[in-house]
Amino acid sequence: MVVKIEHKWGMVVDLDKCTGCQGCVVACQAENNLPINTKDLFMQKRAFEWIRIERYWEGDFPNVKARYLPVMCQHCGNAPCEPVCPVYATYHNDQGLNVQVYNRCVGTRYCINNCTYQVRFFNFWEPTWPERLQNQLNPDVTVRTRGITEKCTFCVQRIRRAEITVERRERTKLNDKTMAARNFMPACVQACPTNALMFGDQNNKEDKIHGYFEELHGHDGHSDSRGYRILEEIGTDPSVIYLKKVDQFKMEHSESHG
Amino acid sequence: MGAVACDVFEDELKVQSPVALPEDLVKGKENWYATLCRTGPSSEGVVVRVIEGRAKKIQGNPNYPTNLGAQGVWSDLGLQQLYHPDRLSNPLRLNGEKASGRFDSITWGRALDEVSKALESRDGAVAMISPPMRGHSAVIADEFIKAFGGKRIEFESLDLKTYRSAIKNIFGQDIQPHYDIGNAEYVLSFGADFLSTWVSPTQWQVGYGEFRDSEHSHRGIMTHVDSRFSVTASNADRWIPITPGQEGKLALSIAYVIIEEQLYPSGVDVNSLTSGQGLSSLAAYSPENIGNQLGAPEHVLGAHSVPELIRTVAREFASHRPAIAIGGGTAGASTNGLFNLEAIYLLNHLVGSVGKEGGVILNPESPVKNLKATSNAHTLSDLEELIRDIKSSKIKMLIMNNVNPVYGSPDWIGLEAVLNSDDIYLVSIDSFMNETNQYADMILPDRNFIEDWGNDVPEPAAGYQTIGIQQPIVNPLSDMDPRSSSDVLLSLAQDLGKDGNMPWKSLEDALKGMSDELFELNRGSVSGSTKQEFWSNLLRQGGWWDKSAVGQDRSNISGLISKVIDKDKEPRLSGDGDFYLVPFLHNSLLDGRNGDMPWAQGTPDPITSVAWQTWIEINDKVANERGIREGDVIEVKSGASSITGIAFVSPAQPPSVISVPLGQGRTKGSAYATDRLDGESANVLDIIENNKIEGTEGLAWAATTVSITNTGESLRIAKFEGDYESREVGFTEGEELIKTTSPGDHDH
Repeated sequence: MVVKIEHKWGMVVDLDKCTGCQGCVVACQAENNLPINTKDLFMQKRAFEWIRIERYWEGDFPNVKARYLPVMCQHCGNAPCEPVCPVYATYHNDQGLNVQVYNRCVGTRYCINNCTYQVRFFNFWEPTWPERLQNQLNPDVTVRTRGITEKCTFCVQRIRRAEITVERRERTKLNDKTMAARNFMPACVQACPTNALMFGDQNNKEDKIHGYFEELHGHDGHSDSRGYRILEEIGTDPSVIYLKKVDQFKMEHSESHG
Repeated sequence: MGAVACDVFEDELKVQSPVALPEDLVKGKENWYATLCRTGPSSEGVVVRVIEGRAKKIQGNPNYPTNLGAQGVWSDLGLQQLYHPDRLSNPLRLNGEKASGRFDSITWGRALDEVSKALESRDGAVAMISPPMRGHSAVIADEFIKAFGGKRIEFESLDLKTYRSAIKNIFGQDIQPHYDIGNAEYVLSFGADFLSTWVSPTQWQVGYGEFRDSEHSHRGIMTHVDSRFSVTASNADRWIPITPGQEGKLALSIAYVIIEEQLYPSGVDVNSLTSGQGLSSLAAYSPENIGNQLGAPEHVLGAHSVPELIRTVAREFASHRPAIAIGGGTAGASTNGLFNLEAIYLLNHLVGSVGKEGGVILNPESPVKNLKATSNAHTLSDLEELIRDIKSSKIKMLIMNNVNPVYGSPDWIGLEAVLNSDDIYLVSIDSFMNETNQYADMILPDRNFIEDWGNDVPEPAAGYQTIGIQQPIVNPLSDMDPRSSSDVLLSLAQDLGKDGNMPWKSLEDALKGMSDELFELNRGSVSGSTKQEFWSNLLRQGGWWDKSAVGQDRSNISGLISKVIDKDKEPRLSGDGDFYLVPFLHNSLLDGRNGDMPWAQGTPDPITSVAWQTWIEINDKVANERGIREGDVIEVKSGASSITGIAFVSPAQPPSVISVPLGQGRTKGSAYATDRLDGESANVLDIIENNKIEGTEGLAWAATTVSITNTGESLRIAKFEGDYESREVGFTEGEELIKTTSPGDHDH
């Protein structure tokens, strides 16, 4: 008998802890068989980064800040990418994930145009690796071909392994602690040295992220009011909450760069 | 006729029903093995995922004391090193002139035979250069070199000798301490880019995450003093730009304020620290006296003047306890670097942070009798001495053990010339071709850390005795035949009957001996009723540690402030250029050691988002005055040489500073490291002038001035961000991407 337990996955990003170190970026590329980001891909502004660190300047020397914003697919509840796909290659699954079915995708790139967060990537070329490097490719993750769109999956292959191992075989409900202890967290979350990235089940009261989503949805229950979602006013209902950066000292600066 | 304007029937939505994604069909059994990762600035405990005999992923080992499951940007690079298309697979023997690039692939038997003969004929004149090493591979390398009558130099481009000397003079021991950032309330750092590349960044980042965790305690406050806007500066609450070499004066000025305003805690013996002189010993360093000499700008975060800023920082530092002062990087790289670092670390005594939770935690000796808890601290001067020895034929055979000093040292030391001579027999143990082993007579391919045994006494440990263990997790691919460097040295010594002090058949054998020794101690994290069971548990856990075996504070604070003041001298600068040159370690390439790996090259720098190229950081207003735009190819010239790189115009760069990352400018090696256009890749070490740090003879790499010229050429810059400076625009208030709050504005 298959035991099916409902989840709604989500992520919380603490901007006060992110140092911009890029540990998550490399961990994601290693886990998810991302094409090698050659110099040419950077020149063309087509580097593949399912999670990226955006850096914004604020102020001018000497009162200047570099602010870091990790951005990955926000797995929106009202995802603008979903209704525009003519072949249903991108759809919303029953665990709150925005899923990309690679073998349905025909490469219209409508989803890329419609994505508010620019987190979808198109394979303009066939990704290639030198023969020896292919030994590193993760067999749990499809290598995408030329002509299709790809993006962050919240490491769905790890979630599936976790479900099979923990929920189906051991008959125990997954939570963020068991996922962390047994290497089932998304690769970026597992890598983050400052714990700026947190992952879990929005519906599971035991998970650390639960409180942040409760609070956001208007329920009482969590003490931290730093949570917000990027560009949420557009109505995308993202599954990623950001916790505001804490400014210890107010910076007086002129907005010379507008 | 079809239906017109009909609604979507519920059934039709099933078109979107989940298909069986490949990710849904999980096949293949995965295993995770614990080991040590060797691609970062310090070793880290990791677990490696293996499926069907291939290594797939590296992640932090959650139990390992220094990194507690976290990983750095470099952790996964070991996988690309392991399966790299340009990795050397067989021993190579030079066939022709040195540096001709002509090598014959030969068998191990013939290679070892030839090296053995070379050793025999040059006995007493053999030297080795390696990176800093600890653990049994260091013991074997040392015993090997001793048996053949030579010396071993531990080489790093930006060595830590000055830092180690300062630690020894201030805390009484040269084992590097742990900084308990996680439990600190205040961090005052100078020059050390500890959140990116300095000493043990993952360890410090783990602490930093706790430091910023307002749920556990108060959110910690951090001030960073640096002559460049580094990753650490960008994460600090306050960044104070400073002229390179003035860090020590600023630290003593902070000490002055703490003593003058009696801000130190009651247990601190100021009388002893100042040899009874009290404030008068520091009179020359009052903020009002020295404030204007530091090159710090006015109006940093609302301070009206530099003296006011110094007083503010001193009051914060002394009142938010526990507080830590950390120094390194550029702060220790001027000619007066030793004075600077000593003055900085002294502050820890003044606020009572030494040996306290949330402060400087002293590390203990290693629990194993022949393993040291420190690396040797060698400098460029030691390398220069070795070059003299080669020239005078005192050294006739050189073994390069996984090190690339021709690339990693300035050209003026002349290493390339002595290696390009038939008088020296050069053996290189390495995995890739590089600038150094192009001169080799014999290249012996080494095993990657995922294929090899090893151990480490992590430096710094997390405040208690720790031994990390590395085990072979996968076999080399069938077309590869690398051998463990330690086993090669052992077998050479055994063949020549020189293995008297190396009673081991192999490195594995040595590690088992160590495991037995740890078993006999009958304490620590590993259990086992038999030696065999203990050994397998040791491997499973990835190491041994004992939280109760902590270090002791051996500081002698008597007269410490006077001793430090005695070393105060103005920094000497070379050249008459318009700018201070501040080189820095690259976030993922570090000093260039990871340059062959495409992930390291293709990871954007956190501040500039540049990948694959050498960029020159220049202040935006200065660039504007000089007509320099992003992408312009800039020549940076010192008295030693000149390099070119691509201008990155930054609003955060101090106007008097030009900074350039290490790591690019490779000329021999994998195409990932070397295939570049003219003007976009340079080795900044080439323009550093010959200045030494007083008291340690290390290279003063922040003591060169440079001038810049716009070559008129322009190249596209390979960066991740867009073509316009990234500032948040176009959103109404409240709709910003990055929202901020003040410490008191949210509930706790």
